[in-house]
Amino acid sequence: MWKAMIYKEWLKIRWFTLLYTLLGMLAVGYLFLKVQHDTTFNQANNYWNLILFKGLKFFSLLKFIPLAGGLLVAVAQYFPETVNKRIKLTFHLPFNENKVLLSMMVFGSCCLLVVYLILIALFSGIAAFYFPSNIILPALVSLIPWFLAGFSAYYLVALIVLEPVWKYRFLYLLVAATFIPLFFKNGPTAAYQPVNITLAVLTILLSISLLFSGYRFRKGEM
Amino acid sequence: MASYAIECNNLTHYYGKKMVYENLNFRVEDGSILGLLGKNGAGKTTTINILNGFLQPRSGECLIYGENSQHLSPSNKARIGFLIEGHIQYTFMNIHQIEKFYSRVYRRWNPEPYWELMSKLQVTPRQKISTMSCGQRSQVALGLILAQDPDLLILDDFSMGLDPGYRRLFIDYLREYAKAQKKTIFTTSHIIQDMERLIDDVLIMDYNCVLAQQNVNEFMRSFKQFYLEVEDPSIDLKKEDFVVNVEKVHNKVEIYTYESEAFVKKFLEKNGIQHRAFQQVAMGLEDAFIGLTGKY
Repeated sequence: MWKAMIYKEWLKIRWFTLLYTLLGMLAVGYLFLKVQHDTTFNQANNYWNLILFKGLKFFSLLKFIPLAGGLLVAVAQYFPETVNKRIKLTFHLPFNENKVLLSMMVFGSCCLLVVYLILIALFSGIAAFYFPSNIILPALVSLIPWFLAGFSAYYLVALIVLEPVWKYRFLYLLVAATFIPLFFKNGPTAAYQPVNITLAVLTILLSISLLFSGYRFRKGEM
Repeated sequence: MASYAIECNNLTHYYGKKMVYENLNFRVEDGSILGLLGKNGAGKTTTINILNGFLQPRSGECLIYGENSQHLSPSNKARIGFLIEGHIQYTFMNIHQIEKFYSRVYRRWNPEPYWELMSKLQVTPRQKISTMSCGQRSQVALGLILAQDPDLLILDDFSMGLDPGYRRLFIDYLREYAKAQKKTIFTTSHIIQDMERLIDDVLIMDYNCVLAQQNVNEFMRSFKQFYLEVEDPSIDLKKEDFVVNVEKVHNKVEIYTYESEAFVKKFLEKNGIQHRAFQQVAMGLEDAFIGLTGKY
């Protein structure tokens, strides 16, 4: 099952994922061009001072990049399944229907994770040229909720797109519009540290929500 | 003893308060080709959706190879080839990618019939299915089902969107394959001439009921149309027990019945119905279908 499903899912999302990875890397690159510019014109010690004591978030450009990735991958992966109710083909495959949906979700999550790890690795690698670890580590802690928002958006879009009834889609959309901003509250660097675990648990719980839409589709809700 | 690929027992379904059918019963014998005919809204697609587990009936059940269609096991699903209305397939793939995908899914995958059909299409190897014509997509969908080598084929309105050439190709290929390989087919189509070339048995549904379910040749032998011109156009034959349906334009009357010519003539004579030009009219399946269900 896995080999076939991975092949199908990859065909759907490959160009979107590659394009998003490229754009994400360009965003990280641009971020550090800006850091280079600011350290040159403000002097490094002043710039560090702003970061350490004045709450400057030099990485704020990345705020919505993971969210955009989650939305893009989810739409690319699940929307083609709903055109002409093509999900019927997927449910008719000789596999358990829930396992099929979970395999799609796990594959999409893994792709997102790989892309996010590439972006985080690039960010950390370049940041190491400019900043000490006591600037980089809080920055990474601040990035965690934004990346979790990307995963949550991915799971919520799957739930919404696979839902067969528009009324319920709208309802889920309202839930998403309420839930996603929780990851983007303003605060000092690393302010989310106490709740990152809670947000991660909520995101993991959200990952299986697409099973509900799949169940409703199979029962003939319309 | 006959074995059945499909058995639907006391199937009842409603959309809200609107009844689609109540206590529908039918069976599809192994190795036979059954055509489900009905007007728009009679419940054809509802039945297909129940059979494939995409709709839960209000009550009753459909068994496919003895398993409830709402909970088909993966091994049973592998025995069923399913053609969705409009020949829906994964259109983001090309013909090589889709063959590669399904070959990894089905253990009994036999690519020969697929590539044989693909060789008839004027498509480039990397052309996405989304850019193909409806006729070409129908051949891709058919080829994939044949390569899957299922025991039962469920085809939802296979002729939709196809030109006459593609319809004929589809039917001839399908019938030859089904008969040679002893496959069972359950199919619907809006184009009844197509069904005539394909099916062994017919199930004709009207709103809320089954009008006929039998071998198509037996049905065509037993169901008859008589034409006559009555002297008194006000005569109403609709309520007579032997009459299945009557179509009347002025004094020209078409009677549809299972009774014989002698019976009808005797009835007319006995009831003093003056008429002329009485004759039995030869019917195709489409004429018989319209005769049975009426012209709306």
